[in-house]
Amino acid sequence: MKSTKYSEKVLDHFRNPRNVGTLEGEDVAVGKVGNPTCGDIMEVYIRIDGNVITDAKFRTFGCGSAIATTSMTTEMVKGMTLDEAMKLTRQDVADELDGLPPIKMHCSNLAADALHEAIKSYRRGKGEEVPDEDEKVKDEIECLVGKDEFLDKGVYLNVEDRNEFKDLRTLVLYSGDESVETAIELTEVTDRVILLTPDETVVINPELAERLASSSVKVLYQSKLLEVRGEFEVEKVLILNIDEDEEYELFVDAVVIIE
Amino acid sequence: MKEVYLDYHSAKPVDSRVIEGMMKYFHEDFGNPSSLHHVGDVATEALEDSRKKIADFINADDDEIIFTSGATEAINLGIIGYALRNKNKGNHIIIAEIEHISIHNIVKYLEREGFEISKVPVDQYGKVSLQKLERRIKDKTILISIGMASNEIGTIQPINEIGKLAAERGIAFHTDAVAAEGLVPIDVKKDNINLMALSSNDIYGPRGVGVMYMQKRFRVNPIIIGGGQEKGLRSGSEDIPGIVGMSIAVEILQKEMNTEVKRFLGYRDGMIKQILDEVPDSHLNGHPIDRLASNAHFRFDGIEGESILLSFKDLGISVSTGSACTSKTLEPSHTLIATGLLHEEAHGSLQLTTGRFNTDEDIDIVLEAVPNVVSRLRELSPIYKTEAG
Repeated sequence: MKSTKYSEKVLDHFRNPRNVGTLEGEDVAVGKVGNPTCGDIMEVYIRIDGNVITDAKFRTFGCGSAIATTSMTTEMVKGMTLDEAMKLTRQDVADELDGLPPIKMHCSNLAADALHEAIKSYRRGKGEEVPDEDEKVKDEIECLVGKDEFLDKGVYLNVEDRNEFKDLRTLVLYSGDESVETAIELTEVTDRVILLTPDETVVINPELAERLASSSVKVLYQSKLLEVRGEFEVEKVLILNIDEDEEYELFVDAVVIIE
Repeated sequence: MKEVYLDYHSAKPVDSRVIEGMMKYFHEDFGNPSSLHHVGDVATEALEDSRKKIADFINADDDEIIFTSGATEAINLGIIGYALRNKNKGNHIIIAEIEHISIHNIVKYLEREGFEISKVPVDQYGKVSLQKLERRIKDKTILISIGMASNEIGTIQPINEIGKLAAERGIAFHTDAVAAEGLVPIDVKKDNINLMALSSNDIYGPRGVGVMYMQKRFRVNPIIIGGGQEKGLRSGSEDIPGIVGMSIAVEILQKEMNTEVKRFLGYRDGMIKQILDEVPDSHLNGHPIDRLASNAHFRFDGIEGESILLSFKDLGISVSTGSACTSKTLEPSHTLIATGLLHEEAHGSLQLTTGRFNTDEDIDIVLEAVPNVVSRLRELSPIYKTEAG
């Protein structure tokens, strides 16, 4: 499915978003989530009377599905109790919109997360114990901009014919032994293979580790692929150095993502 | 200690034959070509004679040569002058990621003036892909500027094909020929070049002189306004000694270029072979074949460029690292980054560029020093051992 192929309901909420704006007052809570690299930032405002959400508003910077999901979320939560609203998931919102393109589920459907942030912040304000799940929410944002757009235009989900990679600067995302094997194999056709892992080491069997060390594969530790960029095809990638919290561009011709 | 200079892409000594030929234009024949008396006529003759020689060198017509104060001004005049004159036709300009920093900064300026800029990526050897270039052409594209060769890694671009493509699509083609001049033959007609920048110092002439070649149908707006010299395109009294110097530099090249380039090729290929053979974990930057005869560019795993430069300095050897122009800042070279290198890899680079006054002995001294410098620095390096596993 194309990343912009939306249901009629999504398009309706995108074109005529409900509940746009902000709320103010003692009984209002705000939840804000987003990742500027993904291009989505969402704010959800809720007014709470006792234990019930009486009003909801939102502001969103983002793509069509980001706007539609926040719009739908604010519609859905009015009248819910806080406990009911905490149980609302991204999937519920997507279902109510007759589905979202798979690629958009991760990046854009953060509205439920923003809602939960708002409820938690309200409860914290009331002095209630609320487990801090901020880190978890961040980890869940599995966002890779451009993966879908450049599929078969330099983004590969597997390596069927390694000769396609001849002399190409190739980035392989670490996802276990198979990805390491692939990276090592590719060095037979290109002298530039980079293996990217968010961790400080790669956990693989000792024999494979030795082969990796003696190969020409360049391993980038503590690094995360944020975005695939290019005009018409893969030309560069945006990488986050987790350790130094620094983003930089790297020119490559191919990206291999074995899931 | 013998001083060895292997940084000819940064600056070149002026050939003594050039200096000799320039001398009389400082004091005896000092005239201003704009004056109508005899003293002025002598200056006019020297100016026009120089113009003719330089036109001949690049297969241009005399009236297509505009003298400037150097290559930077020539590039400014060529790109900004053409863009401003043609902004009614379109506002889109294409350059390569690997262009000299001056061109990146010029298009940054044009971007603020409402122009739209696209940059064509290069492959791992620094070559522009024609396919990627063609895909960036739009209806509003008025100018393509791609340098003839990289001043850093020496990769020579497919200029003939680019010129052909630009001509077919009715787009002006500007090329910065500074790194290539004197090392590869330049023929503006054969290669469909419409605008081009040349520097005098890069062919062993004096600094402060350059040329903008402008094909007749590709007029530019002046960026320096004044008394209307150089057909109104570059006002300011002509620097006759400098211009004569550049023309003598051209004459010398026409006689000696072939022999000289062969000698440089020997130096280059010898250095590349020996360094890659003798130094473990060393790599060549730039194209293995299509590269300037004067340029050998390496990187060494696990060590940093500035420390390489300083070690050579202690040995009386002058070299460059990263970008010849920006190594002061220690910012990684945009050229090396464009070839797909990581910052730390770009930092570990060594640029050896040879020229007219190098001898076999110079090359021997450097080749002896490189393995020692690299292994000493690697002993100090906390990252080399881990990299090598």
